[in-house]
Amino acid sequence: MIPIDKIQRLFAAMGPQAAFAIGLALIVLAGFGRGRSRFSKALGVLTLLAGVVLVLPRARPAPAAGALLAPDGFSIAWQILFYVGALPFAILGAAGTEAPVLLYLGSALGMGIIALSRDLLMLFIGLELMSIPAYLLVMGLGRRERAASEAALKYFFCGGAASALFLLGIALYYARMKTLAFAPGVAPADPIVGASLALMGTAALFKIGAVPLHFWLPDVYEASSPELAGFFSTALKAAAVLLLMRVVSIAPASALAKALPWAGALTMFVGAVLALGQTSLQRLLSYSSIAHAGNIILGVGAWAAMGASPAAAYAVYFYLAAYLFMNNGAFSFLAVSGLKTREDLKGFAKASPVLAGLFAVFMLALGGAPPTAGFLAKLLIFWEALKAGLYAPLAVALLSALIALVYYLALVRDAYFEEGSAAPVQGSWVGRAVLWACAAPSAALGLFPIVLGPIQRLLGL
Amino acid sequence: MTAPLTLLWTAPLLGGFLTLLLAGDRAPRLPRRLALLIATALFLYTAAIPLAAGSFNLTELGLDLAWGIRYSLALDGLSYALVLLTAFLTMISLLGSWKEGHSAGFWASFLFLESALMGVFLARDLFLFYIFWEASLIPMFFIIGLWGSANRRHAAVKFFLYTFGGSLFLLLGALLLVNERHAATGLWSWDMSRLRLDGGGPLSVFIFISMAIGFAVKIPVFPFHTWLPDAHTEAPAAGSVMLAGVMLKMGLYGFLRILYPVFPGVGAQLLPWLGGLAAFNAIYGAFGAMVQTDLKRLIAYSSVAHLGFCLMGIASLTPEGIAGGSLQMINHGLTTGALFLMVGFIYERSHKRGLSDFGALARTAPALGFFFGLACLASVGVPGMNGFVGEFMSLAGMMRALPIAAMAALLGVGLAPAYLLPAFGKVFWNDPGPDSCASKVTDLDGRERAILWALSGLMLVIGLYPSPWLDFFRAAASQLSL
Repeated sequence: MIPIDKIQRLFAAMGPQAAFAIGLALIVLAGFGRGRSRFSKALGVLTLLAGVVLVLPRARPAPAAGALLAPDGFSIAWQILFYVGALPFAILGAAGTEAPVLLYLGSALGMGIIALSRDLLMLFIGLELMSIPAYLLVMGLGRRERAASEAALKYFFCGGAASALFLLGIALYYARMKTLAFAPGVAPADPIVGASLALMGTAALFKIGAVPLHFWLPDVYEASSPELAGFFSTALKAAAVLLLMRVVSIAPASALAKALPWAGALTMFVGAVLALGQTSLQRLLSYSSIAHAGNIILGVGAWAAMGASPAAAYAVYFYLAAYLFMNNGAFSFLAVSGLKTREDLKGFAKASPVLAGLFAVFMLALGGAPPTAGFLAKLLIFWEALKAGLYAPLAVALLSALIALVYYLALVRDAYFEEGSAAPVQGSWVGRAVLWACAAPSAALGLFPIVLGPIQRLLGL
Repeated sequence: MTAPLTLLWTAPLLGGFLTLLLAGDRAPRLPRRLALLIATALFLYTAAIPLAAGSFNLTELGLDLAWGIRYSLALDGLSYALVLLTAFLTMISLLGSWKEGHSAGFWASFLFLESALMGVFLARDLFLFYIFWEASLIPMFFIIGLWGSANRRHAAVKFFLYTFGGSLFLLLGALLLVNERHAATGLWSWDMSRLRLDGGGPLSVFIFISMAIGFAVKIPVFPFHTWLPDAHTEAPAAGSVMLAGVMLKMGLYGFLRILYPVFPGVGAQLLPWLGGLAAFNAIYGAFGAMVQTDLKRLIAYSSVAHLGFCLMGIASLTPEGIAGGSLQMINHGLTTGALFLMVGFIYERSHKRGLSDFGALARTAPALGFFFGLACLASVGVPGMNGFVGEFMSLAGMMRALPIAAMAALLGVGLAPAYLLPAFGKVFWNDPGPDSCASKVTDLDGRERAILWALSGLMLVIGLYPSPWLDFFRAAASQLSL
């Protein structure tokens, strides 16, 4: 007899994960073969969409006491980010064989487990499940050059170090608390818990690419295909941010939480300054993603400083959501247009006015110019930092926002104002559709913060 | 009274998109016709508002958004004067660049710019104000960068970065202000009418200065002015008209609409500083203009001086000063707008604008000489012209508030003829030099004359009968004066 009620309960609590397991199984069962890559690609996109639908908020049975995995508002909100953030890569990249589809679905499964975990070991399993496919994606999908293998290896070892730190943190936590279960505010603020959280938080900051733990990031993003870099910088980064928030929430007054605003300030400043001199577009966007991560970390710091304030959680979430669209858009633009360096951009607006217009939207949004989504995202983080009284990091954030605008404007200047020999780019209709789908929210999310009202409720506002 | 004010900023926005959509090789003239049609209709609509409603004190039903942000628009005399100026100058700018064969993007950019500027002057919510304030940078960035002269790329980026940097101070101040109000009342609100910090404590002073820096970059007040000569010189003529005519006024409007009403105590406290800066601006701009060899750059520096007089009147916090300074904003928009347009006409014909590139233009282009001379006189502030009224009242106000600053600024008044009239003489009267391109400058055609008659007519009307124009600012003057 089929235990219908158990299946129902499974789907209610972990619908996306169940869908991913089925999708993975189907792709594997369909067999390996060259002719089947389109099938697996379509199935991958459908699985992600199913994940988004299944995670949407609805009435759920309350989780059993002591459950290792259980949904809450954060997990629902963040899973939407993961699966939507993976879509551009699923649509534009992931070609050739079914391997990349299997890998990103596995990675997304891991992100979901991070979101659902109530137990540190599950959190670790989610982290590994998310990261290991990512290493393989860099190696297998990058341009087939030594740089890709080198970047993958670097990524693997750095990721391994982060995992080791995380495990050490878990061990310390267990030694002090005699349990692996965690919940907001359960741990006392003593040195051992503090050290454990610091270790786990460092691992999360590693994954986010916070300065000075950022050195692997530009190499990895540059060695990846642009759409893969988009996936890493949005979905994967959102998962790492949630990991950080989960760790911080265990004891919001820990040394880790106090250090976060400064870590954020340092990250955004260094990222912005290092992006200034880049000539490779993908590398420039990699450094820019470090700068953006700094804003997010500052937001998490403000969130912790105000005792897990829902408004600050929403600010972080909004930033991630806005960033998802504008950065996926920017990387997808590189994928669709095939542009590599700033030199290639010159004269692009004359050759392809519509694509250039979309590019300008992404750049102005990333630069934080009103009325784009990027502006409101920055504004909310600044506002929360101010509410939390983090004046000095806020001053750094304002300065970094100005520095960041320098290179985004420089790119717009290259595309629009400089003469050059850029050839007209048509792009596939799928590619153009992805760009429009990213550009519309990038431009308009800043004007309609109200459409995210349901998310505010999920986060407790 | 309620009135549909949303139309004032949405119509040009949608019109801009429509203009872009209709761009195509089949109908190359369609975009500019459409843009001019929209701008003209909007000007007529703006002009008709008080006639239909019987007053220019109008509000629109607001709409509460998230975080205490409220979509609320309103007009009063001050806003209305600037909205009317925006609508008028947009129309004039488009008409003035009629013959320049620009792509649809050019015409659309002006409509986008108009939309943002309208929003700035209509918004009664600080958040909304900030969005419009910043959004105005984007079209102007493209106008300068795409259709400007030789050094346009540098000027466009400099313009954007400088004003964006200034705006970050404005944003910081706004956030601090909203937080402070929340601490006092327990409510989140960005509504300008509810934001008021009465005490003159250090925090109020800090917020005031922070926001004032944002406004000062726009005005521009020394030492935040360095973006202006580049931007104004490199922008196409119509862009310079909008920059000088309207965008510089946004900063002064910020003082009048936000800073003085929100911080009634601090304005008086900082009066000597602002008065001193204003006087310095007036003198510095004049000296700066005196050494210029490029006609457009000269006018750009003269803007620095003129805006110094505007700020002087407003910062004096006397009724006559505020009214005069505000009127001077309008005057400067008309006069400098006319001057920039005429330099544009000359440049269009000769592709030169250096002072020594021309001579005896009054002989080859008498109508141009007439209008240019008239605008110069208005700019200098000759009695009977509009500039005199504004400058005189501003100085009179400051004379009551801080005589030293007013007397120092008198030097600026004296210097104005010393930079404008010699330049006029060189270009229009002196014998042409050996490599002069004066012969290329043909006289104005009918369209150009019509534009200049409209602008010069207003200069004379305001100069000879200023009282109805001052009425726009009467309410602000009585509310804000000490």
